[in-house]
Amino acid sequence: MASITLNNIKKTYEDGVTVIENLNLEIKDKEFIILVGPSGCGKSTTLRMIAGLEEISDGELKIGDKIVNNVSPKDRDIAMVFQSYALYPHMSVYKNMAFGLKNRKVPKEEIDKKVMAAAKMLDIESYLNRKPRALSGGQRQRVALGRAMVREPSVFLLDEPLSNLDAKLRTEMRSRISMLHKQLGTTFVYVTHDQTEAMTMGDRIVVMKDGVVQQFDTPQMLYNHPKNMFVAGFIGSPQMNFIDCMVKRKGENYFLSFGNYEIVLPNRMNDYLVMYDNKEVVFGVRPEDLSIVKGKDEVNSFDLYVDIAEMTGADYYLYGTFNDKKIIANVPSNNNIKSDKKYKFKIDIDRIHIFDKINERLICD
Amino acid sequence: MEKNIKKYFPAFVLPTFISFTVVFLIPFFMGIYLSFTEFTTVESATWIGFENYIRAFTKDENFLNALWFTIKFTVVSVITINIFAFSLALLLTKALKGTTFFRTVFFMPNLIGGIVLGYIWNLLINAILGVFGFDITYDADYGFWGLVFLLNWQLIGYMMVIYIAGLQNVPRDLKEAAKIDGASSFSILRNITIPMVMPSVTICLFLTLTNSFKLFDQNLALTGGAPARETSMLALDIYNTFYGRIGWQGVGQAKAVVFFLIVAIIAFVQLKITGRKEVES
Amino acid sequence: MNERKRLSNTFSFSFLLLLSVVFLFPLYLVVINSFKSKFNIISEPFDFPNENTFVGLENYINGINSSGIVGAFIRTAIITIGSVLAIVVFTSMTAWYITRVKSKVNKIIYYLFLFSMIVPFQMVMFTMTDVCYRLGLNSVLGIIPVYLGFGSGLSVFMFSGFVKSLPREIEEAAMIDGCSPIKTFFYVVFPILKPTAITVAILNAMWIWNDFLLPYLLLGSADKTLSVAIQLTMQGAYGAIDWGGFMSMLVLAIIPIVIFYLLCQKYIIKGVIDGAVKG
Repeated sequence: MASITLNNIKKTYEDGVTVIENLNLEIKDKEFIILVGPSGCGKSTTLRMIAGLEEISDGELKIGDKIVNNVSPKDRDIAMVFQSYALYPHMSVYKNMAFGLKNRKVPKEEIDKKVMAAAKMLDIESYLNRKPRALSGGQRQRVALGRAMVREPSVFLLDEPLSNLDAKLRTEMRSRISMLHKQLGTTFVYVTHDQTEAMTMGDRIVVMKDGVVQQFDTPQMLYNHPKNMFVAGFIGSPQMNFIDCMVKRKGENYFLSFGNYEIVLPNRMNDYLVMYDNKEVVFGVRPEDLSIVKGKDEVNSFDLYVDIAEMTGADYYLYGTFNDKKIIANVPSNNNIKSDKKYKFKIDIDRIHIFDKINERLICD
Repeated sequence: MEKNIKKYFPAFVLPTFISFTVVFLIPFFMGIYLSFTEFTTVESATWIGFENYIRAFTKDENFLNALWFTIKFTVVSVITINIFAFSLALLLTKALKGTTFFRTVFFMPNLIGGIVLGYIWNLLINAILGVFGFDITYDADYGFWGLVFLLNWQLIGYMMVIYIAGLQNVPRDLKEAAKIDGASSFSILRNITIPMVMPSVTICLFLTLTNSFKLFDQNLALTGGAPARETSMLALDIYNTFYGRIGWQGVGQAKAVVFFLIVAIIAFVQLKITGRKEVES
Repeated sequence: MNERKRLSNTFSFSFLLLLSVVFLFPLYLVVINSFKSKFNIISEPFDFPNENTFVGLENYINGINSSGIVGAFIRTAIITIGSVLAIVVFTSMTAWYITRVKSKVNKIIYYLFLFSMIVPFQMVMFTMTDVCYRLGLNSVLGIIPVYLGFGSGLSVFMFSGFVKSLPREIEEAAMIDGCSPIKTFFYVVFPILKPTAITVAILNAMWIWNDFLLPYLLLGSADKTLSVAIQLTMQGAYGAIDWGGFMSMLVLAIIPIVIFYLLCQKYIIKGVIDGAVKG
C-alpha cells in the first residue's frame, strides 16, 4: 500500500527531445488515478517512469516514502498491465501468472493458492493450462490482470489495458477493474486516451497535454469546472460548444454579444470580467445546457438551423452551424424535432464557462 | 530498462565479438596490410607497395585467366540455373500430383557438401567421357561445362524452392481478376506473375551470382584446375598462389583483396537494388 | 478444354518424373559402384553389379579401415554440434543485446557483423590460419570458437531481424516480474526466438558439416573431418586410387545428410528460404 509522489519530474530523450517538463503529482494511497490525454501527451511515459521502464531525466519519484529513481522495476513493488497484454507466449496461463512469484522464490503451495484465488476471481480457472494464443482478447486481458494481481503489489499500473477490446467487452471490463480496485484496496494508476473510461473509473483524473498537466481533479470537478479550454473540450461527449463573443458592459451588468444575440451574465461574474470589457472571449456551453424554446422574445437564446437531428433513444443530438462553427445540442427526445429546420435555443447561463481567447484559460464559470 | 541491460555487455556480447575479432577482424586488416608486403610468414613481411598487385595482373597469367573463367562460368550458371529453377517452380505450383516428392528430390543435392558433389560428378562425367576415350582433364571446355552442370544440379532445387515461395505469395484474386479481364495464361504470367515475383528473382540472381563467383570446393574436387590450371576459378587460383608457389604469398594476398573488392561491389549493387525495391513496395 | 488440361498435366508429370530420374542418377551411380569390384568401376561405370562384379560390403570394409572415415565422422559430428550450439546461444544473446541497447558502439558492432558477410574466405584465409595457430585453436575443440566467429555475421543478422519485430513489452513484463537481464533472455526471449534459432542452426549445420577449407587449414590430416578425409584420399593417391573404397566413402558421407534431410525436410526448406530472404 503506497502513495506516489512526483516532484519536478523531467523526461528528455537521448535525441534531446523533452516530452515532460516539471511534472508534479501527489497520488494518495489506495487512490484510483487516471492519466488521460491525446496520444503523445506523455501519459504513457509518465506511467513507464513510475514503473521504472523509462529513466527519469530529472526530479524525484517517491513510492511510499522511498525515493525510487534508481530502483529497478522488480524492486519497486509494482505490477503492470500492458496494452498488448505482453503475456509470455510460450507459457501456459498458469505459468504466466506464477512466473513473477517463482522469481521471488515464493513457496510452491503459496503460488498455487494465489494463482487459483486470482483465477477464480477473474473467471479464468477453466483455461489455466492453455497457451495465450488459444485465448480470446478478453480472456488474455483477464490473464494479464491476474498476473499483476497475484503479486499483490502496492501499486498497480495499467497502460491502456482496454484499448484492444471491442466496445461491449470494454464496458464490461471497466466495471470489473473498478471492482478489482475496491477488492484489492491498492493504489491504481491507469493510462487511457478515452475520456469515458477516465470519467467512469477514476477517483481523480490527471488530464495531460504536451507533457504538461492541465488539471488534476475529480471527475465532477473536471466536468463542471474545467480550468481551460483543452480540458473543457476533452472531457465530455459530445464536446462542449465554443462560441467566440465580445464582453460588453451596460451599467451593473455584463453581456456577451455574438452575432445579433446577447446574453446577460449573472452578477457573480462581474469581478472577473472587469479587465475584459470590450474584449473578445470564448464562451463554452455543453450540449445538454442548450434547450429548445418556443417564445419569440426569450432572453439568452439564439437561432440555430439544425442540419441533422440524430435520435439516439432518450435524446436527440442536433447538429448545426453557427458563425461557421459546429454547434451540438442534446435535448430530450420528447421534443418533436426535424432536421433542416430553424429552432430557437436557450442557453443555461448558470452553466456557461468563459475563457480567455489568447491563453485559453478559464475566466469564470 | 536499457540501463539495466547495459552493464551486461560482457556476458552478452564479448564471447561472440572476441571470436569474431580473432578470426575475422584482425585477420582482415592484417590481410590488407600483407597485400602490400613480401612475406613467407607474417613476421617476415617487408613493405613493397603495389608490387604484388602489379605482379598479379602482369606476371601471373593464371590470375587473369581465372578471372575470365570465373566471369564466363558465373554468367552461364546464373542464367541456366535461374531459367530452370523458375520453370520448375511454375510447374510445381500447378497443383500436380507428387509435388512434394519432386520438391524433395530436386532440393536434395543442395545439402551435399561441395567436395563430395565434386567427386560424384567427377565419376559421372569421366564415365560418360570414358565412352569416347577422354576424361574431364582432356580439355578445359569439359571442365567448364562439368562445373556448370554440377552447380545447376546443386542449386536448381534451392532456387526453385525460393521461387515457389514467391509464386505462392502472388494473390490468387489478382490472377482471377486478370482472367475475367480476358487475359491469356501467357499474358497473366508476363503481366502479373513475373512482376509480382521480382523480389524472389532478385534474391535468386544474387544468390547464384555470389555462389558461382566464390565457388571453391566443387572446383577443387571436380577438376582441381586441370588441365594446367585452365579451369581454376578465382578462389582456387588464390589458394594455389598462397600454398603452391613459395614466395608468392604476397601476390596471393593481393589477389584476395581484388577478389574481395569484386564481391563487395556485387554486394553493394545488390543492396542498392533490393533497397530500391523495398521503397517501392 | 478439360481434355487438353489433363493432357498437359500428364505431360508435365511425365517430364518431372523423368527429370527426377536425371537428378537422382548421379547418386544412383555412386551407390551401385560402391558395391562393385574396384577394377570394374572405371571400366564399366554404368553397369549394375552382376555376379562377376558384385563384392558385397568389401569396399565399405576397405574404405572404413584405410581412410579413418569413422574418426572423421565423429570429429565432424563433434565440431558441427559444438559449433552450432555455440553459435545459436552466443549470437542470439549478442543480437538481442545490440538490438535492445541503442548506442554507437553497438551500431558499429552490428555493421561489422554485416560487413563480414560479404568478405570471401580467401581474403582472411592465410592470416586467420596464422592467428589461430598462435592461439592454439587448431584442434577439434579449438575450431569451435573459430566457427563461432565466422558464423556470427549471418546469425547475428538473422536474430537481430527477429528481435526487432518482437514487442518490448514482454521483456518489460519479465523485468517487472523480477527477472535479471540474463534470466529475461533465457526464460522469456530465447523461447520466443526458437523458430529463428532452428533456422540459424540448420543453416550453420549445413555449412559446417560440409565445410572443407577451414578444417583443412586448421586441422589438416591429423584431425581430418569428412570433407577433408575425402579430399585427402583423392589428393594423396596420384592415380593409384582404390575406387571401390572411395565410392563407399562418398556413400557414407551422403547417408547422414539424406537421413537428416528426410527427417527435418520441412524445417530445412523453411530455414533455407528464410536465410535467403534475410541474407
